[in-house]
Amino acid sequence: MNRIRNFFRTREMRKLLRDRLTIFAMIAIGAYLFTGIAIMCGAITAETCDQVVGPNKLNGFYREELPERRYDIATTKFLQAVQTALGQEDPQAALEQVQLGRVRVADKSPEELQTIVDQIIGLRDELNQSENLDEDPAMMPKLAEMEAKVEQLKKPLTGMNGFLHNASLWLGTDAQGRSIFFRGLYSIKIALQIGLVTATFSVLLGAFLGAAAGYLGGWVDSVIVWIYTTFSSIPNLVLLVVIAYAFTDFDLQKRVPAFMSSWVEGIDIKNSLLPVYIAFGATFWIGTCRVIRGETMKLKEMEYIHAARTAGFSSFHILLRHIIPNTAHLMLINFSLLLIGAIKSEVILSFLGLGVKGQPSWGIMIRDAGNNGDVVTGFFWEIGTATVLMFGLVLAFNILSDALQDAFDPKHV
Amino acid sequence: MSQPKSEQYESSKPLVKVKNLVKHFPKRGGVFNQVIAKVHAVNDVSFEIRKGETLGVVGESGCGKSTLGKAIIRLHDPTSGRVIFDGVDITHLSRSRLRPIRRRMQMIFQDPNSSLNPRMTVEATLREVIRLHKIVSESEMRSYIDGLLTKVGLRVDDRGKYPHEFSGGQKQRIGIARALAVKPEFIIADEPVSALDVSIQAQVLNLLMDLKDELKLTLLFVSHDLKVIDHFCDRMLVMYLGNVVEEMPCQDIHATAKHPYTKALLASNPITDPDQRGELVVLEGEVPSPYDPPAGCPFVTRCPIATDRCKTENPPLEDRAGNHRVACWEVKE
Repeated sequence: MNRIRNFFRTREMRKLLRDRLTIFAMIAIGAYLFTGIAIMCGAITAETCDQVVGPNKLNGFYREELPERRYDIATTKFLQAVQTALGQEDPQAALEQVQLGRVRVADKSPEELQTIVDQIIGLRDELNQSENLDEDPAMMPKLAEMEAKVEQLKKPLTGMNGFLHNASLWLGTDAQGRSIFFRGLYSIKIALQIGLVTATFSVLLGAFLGAAAGYLGGWVDSVIVWIYTTFSSIPNLVLLVVIAYAFTDFDLQKRVPAFMSSWVEGIDIKNSLLPVYIAFGATFWIGTCRVIRGETMKLKEMEYIHAARTAGFSSFHILLRHIIPNTAHLMLINFSLLLIGAIKSEVILSFLGLGVKGQPSWGIMIRDAGNNGDVVTGFFWEIGTATVLMFGLVLAFNILSDALQDAFDPKHV
Repeated sequence: MSQPKSEQYESSKPLVKVKNLVKHFPKRGGVFNQVIAKVHAVNDVSFEIRKGETLGVVGESGCGKSTLGKAIIRLHDPTSGRVIFDGVDITHLSRSRLRPIRRRMQMIFQDPNSSLNPRMTVEATLREVIRLHKIVSESEMRSYIDGLLTKVGLRVDDRGKYPHEFSGGQKQRIGIARALAVKPEFIIADEPVSALDVSIQAQVLNLLMDLKDELKLTLLFVSHDLKVIDHFCDRMLVMYLGNVVEEMPCQDIHATAKHPYTKALLASNPITDPDQRGELVVLEGEVPSPYDPPAGCPFVTRCPIATDRCKTENPPLEDRAGNHRVACWEVKE
């Protein structure tokens, strides 16, 4: 407890917490992290995101649809309900089914349902007489009545399910009728997962290689410097695309010897996030490695390192106990920067169809939204959701890493 | 620990022997990273330190005195020459075979601000070395560390503090405690007080003196301050540009110093007693570049008594009367 209190009293922490903007950024990051963890615990699954929750491209934020479209939606819902409830051989059994996907049938007797259906058909015939509902205000009450009757056909959702159904429509639906709100939230988990895994891996790898190169010098240094200069001479995104592309048709079953094939059964690498991790892990460690190498070369000449050497400690012990802990602040800053880089690169790769597969991602949402030129015709809410969520996360981390850099910079008061 | 029975170090055998020690630092450059120049940091230095003795090494900045200390303790690998510690040639020992020797020789560093790991508490710093050399068992660790802290004049409650919570003098005491933690016989003190305030200097020096007597330590004391050396050491080496120019006992050094460089060093020191003030020798010019030392005597470019012979031949360190060795063609007796 005392240690924690002391930690918050250190000069760095005081500098970090002094800026109100940083606090906001940290709160925002906290909210994102909370959402990500909740989704990881199963609050929203990939299957939920794939479910059709309503008509295609439904407007978000409860904005009114045009009457023509309202009529179409009501008719479609009506036909779906009738199909589910009455199209079955045994209507009674159909009614007992509480829920069929998202199309639900109200808990009413067949006779009652029949009455409602007849009323709706009557209303539909009346509405059909209008040339264009959009320019026919007199028909509006009838349209509203039809919509209400259609809703009666369905079993009303209550409690959590009702809330979730409502929530799924908050930001409207995409071209396949899937919830944009849920897809956007689920992408937070994907982004954070990729960001955290690659940033952790890259920082640890970069720190270890950089510290080893800086401390040991000689041929170790030459080899590591050669590797990272070679890697960094290739444009980063091109390398990412090449590595990710190499995995598009990767089938582990065919690549391992015959006797091992039963071990790897069911492991689907090309649809997992592993190619993305490999592509990012291979390129992202370079910056950290370079920074830590420089810092190590400076620390190496500190007298406590000399003291550790005169005591007879092994190089490995000195690296692990004396050098790497003293580069921790650089690792922290780099972690924050790499996290942003990974999230942005993930979106770009997914947009190109090389990143995340089989799960929602901001990149996929942006690509879907722009696929048929729909954005130009006013379908902004899918691309908007993805962009705003990504913008918030990247901005918050940018502010945080800026503040971290200031806090740990000894020249900055 | 084997300590000489006799308190008279003159009669005891040498603990450390340094023979023809040379340390060059290559400067690399050019297309193929070849050696284009060498810094002649330590040039053919030989001396002995007897058990229980304190040997001072004095010289101006960049004369190679710190490098000499670091080469003895193998922080730098010597270019050539040998270091013999208690009869064992440690110049080419492997790391694992060097470790038991390293327990017996320790170093106190110059800058107290950089000689302690800022992320380790005092206790962690001490425990680490004690554990490595298995000085005491885990159960005795706490009392042993408390004893060490008390010995160097720190409070026992300071155990859990981090280095930045201490003043410079206190940090230097922690550095001394770390060196003493492994019960060494030989300590190299690399300018242990030059980074401290004068008032603190005296405290730390007195502490070192007390500890030296109490633990019967052998010391190599590196300093640029003649007063400190004179106060603290039994004998001293005067270094100039990587060479030892004079080796003499620290008794009445003003009267016995023979080499012109030592005299100049002494003259540059303020003396409080007006009767002892001698002529003021002001050295002209700069120290030559260690990349390109003079062909003959290293001091020839600034020596007031240099002759033509000094420009071509480097004078050897020759024995003179009274445990005195001087490297100068012109100093005869």
